[in-house]
Amino acid sequence: MSLIAWDEKFSVGVASVDHEHRELIGLVNDAHDRLMRPGAKAAVPDFLGEIYARISAHFALEEKLMRVEHYDRYDEHKADHERLLDDIRDIMDDYEDDRNFDENRFAQRLRTWFTEHFRTHDARLHGHLG
Amino acid sequence: MVETLQHAGRRVFSPFEDAFDAAFGPRLNPFYHLGALSFFFFWVVLASGVYLYIFFETSIDGAYRSVENLTHVQWYAGGIARSLHRYASDAMVIVVLLHLLREFTLDRYRGVRWYAWITGVILLWLLYASGIGGYWLVWDRLAQYIAVVTSEWLDWLPLFGESIARNFLNSTTVNDRFFSLLSFIHVSVPLFLLLGSWIHILRISRARTNPPRPLVIGALLALVLLAALRPALSQGPANLDTVVSTVSLDWFYLAAYPLIDIWSRGAVWAVLAGGTLLLLLLPWLPRRREQPAAVVDLSNCNGCGRCFADCPYSAVVLRPRSDGLPFETEAVVDASLCTACGICVGACPTATPFRRLAELIPGIDMPRLTVRALRNSTAAAAAPLTGTDRVIVFGCHGGPDLARLNATGVAAVALPCVAALPPSFIDFVISRRHADGVLLAGCKAGDCYQRLGIEWTEQRLQGRRDPYLRARVPRERVATCWAGPRDATGLAREVAAFRARLRELGPYRRDGETPPPSPNPEVGDVAYRVG
Repeated sequence: MSLIAWDEKFSVGVASVDHEHRELIGLVNDAHDRLMRPGAKAAVPDFLGEIYARISAHFALEEKLMRVEHYDRYDEHKADHERLLDDIRDIMDDYEDDRNFDENRFAQRLRTWFTEHFRTHDARLHGHLG
Repeated sequence: MVETLQHAGRRVFSPFEDAFDAAFGPRLNPFYHLGALSFFFFWVVLASGVYLYIFFETSIDGAYRSVENLTHVQWYAGGIARSLHRYASDAMVIVVLLHLLREFTLDRYRGVRWYAWITGVILLWLLYASGIGGYWLVWDRLAQYIAVVTSEWLDWLPLFGESIARNFLNSTTVNDRFFSLLSFIHVSVPLFLLLGSWIHILRISRARTNPPRPLVIGALLALVLLAALRPALSQGPANLDTVVSTVSLDWFYLAAYPLIDIWSRGAVWAVLAGGTLLLLLLPWLPRRREQPAAVVDLSNCNGCGRCFADCPYSAVVLRPRSDGLPFETEAVVDASLCTACGICVGACPTATPFRRLAELIPGIDMPRLTVRALRNSTAAAAAPLTGTDRVIVFGCHGGPDLARLNATGVAAVALPCVAALPPSFIDFVISRRHADGVLLAGCKAGDCYQRLGIEWTEQRLQGRRDPYLRARVPRERVATCWAGPRDATGLAREVAAFRARLRELGPYRRDGETPPPSPNPEVGDVAYRVG
């Protein structure tokens, strides 16, 4: 089962951003699938590293679009991006350091992380850019 | 041959630069702002020139008189303006010539930088034409000398058919219209100089045309002081019925004039034209082979534009997407502008060493030192390190000699520029415990060989420029050392002090485990449709 499924309400109405959101969800789902299979310990950090790079690039693009559009809450949104990147790095390190590791909680963290990003931040941006 | 000259030049410059570093600090060292200073002096000349022009009379009788009035009657304004006009012009010659010599010794004049060099050499002629033209207008004995010698010198060229010297420069034929023409030339040539200066910096991004404010204030004060203590004066009215025998020259502009007297006019033409030609050809004698230019990998590029924003040479541009993916733009590298500094790679969000799923290929990469190779060499350099004060030094080619750092517990990784290091490498080294601290060693602050590398690096570390060094990276484990190429001892001292601090800190530990975010009931309730 997929951890997150693409929902049209995630769409921000910008083809490039939506495309990357879909890619990211695919990548997170792949990571989740892998997590549920044996040997996850070795494989999951690879996914996490890739997710981190993709999200960094995705935020970079979103920030560029916001600047081009003179989005009024740019600073706030940018600060959220930075915080979310710190969070995902924490998730990565937690996994690597194997402290109190729990697959289900880990999956939940990832899902929470993504849906929070889509729901709270991009929704308003959608209204602005769309 | 060129290298020998460059080394000799560096040996001449180095003690002066070091002395100014000690006196001003590297960020305000005028040697590192020569181009910007020439712009500043140009503005001073322009502003003072506009003032002088208001009172200047463009007539054969009025010219000398009006300048005398400016100098003596309104000495407090016109006199100061005249002296500023004169001394700022001289200062411009000094900084421009130093700028030219320094760029030569630093090998920043050939390869992709030929354009700035060629335009700069042409600007020299405009600068001298502007300055020398100004001396005519005063119409004193020096002006007369310059007028006669210049005319004779120009007459050597078979351009005008008739002799300028004979037609214009005698007391019966020199007229007011001639003065109008001269002042027109003295206004228009400097405007071409300004236009040329703009063309000169066209191919670099964020050209520094304003020196740091303390330097501006200091230079202005020095000029005003000089103007007050040694006001620029005329040397008696011109009289075309006599021959000028002794004048004191402004050597900054008029150094070639005695030669016109001593040698033949043709010889001086040969020296100046030959010298100019040599300077123009210099970038190809021999030409410099740049390292291979940055390459873009479209499957990793979403057109975010960070490389475009950070490239100091405008070598990266954003163009409409060419591969059908739903992004608007993609990065495109103009190899003829790329110095292979790698700063674009340091800016790329996909250039992170944490990537392991696929081969680590960032959106933009340097063929000579790929991000993948950089990660491998970082890990390899770190492997033999032991203890709690393990340091990885990332150093640039313009910084101190990294080979001399080979102490136990320290590993060095060389980069074309410190800003070629993506900040996530620092996070990677520390969080993956490859080392206990990271030290970035580069050029002298204010004198980055790749122009913007130090500035961008500092801003990225401070979280003021993308990509930020993550806030979670403990800053006490990151150090910078802008020691420049000659200060290997300074770097060794910094490294030793940094290692002592690291020993006190003990091994890297994360601040406890971050508590998992409390499950948000709203988020949990979101229904996901497959689609």
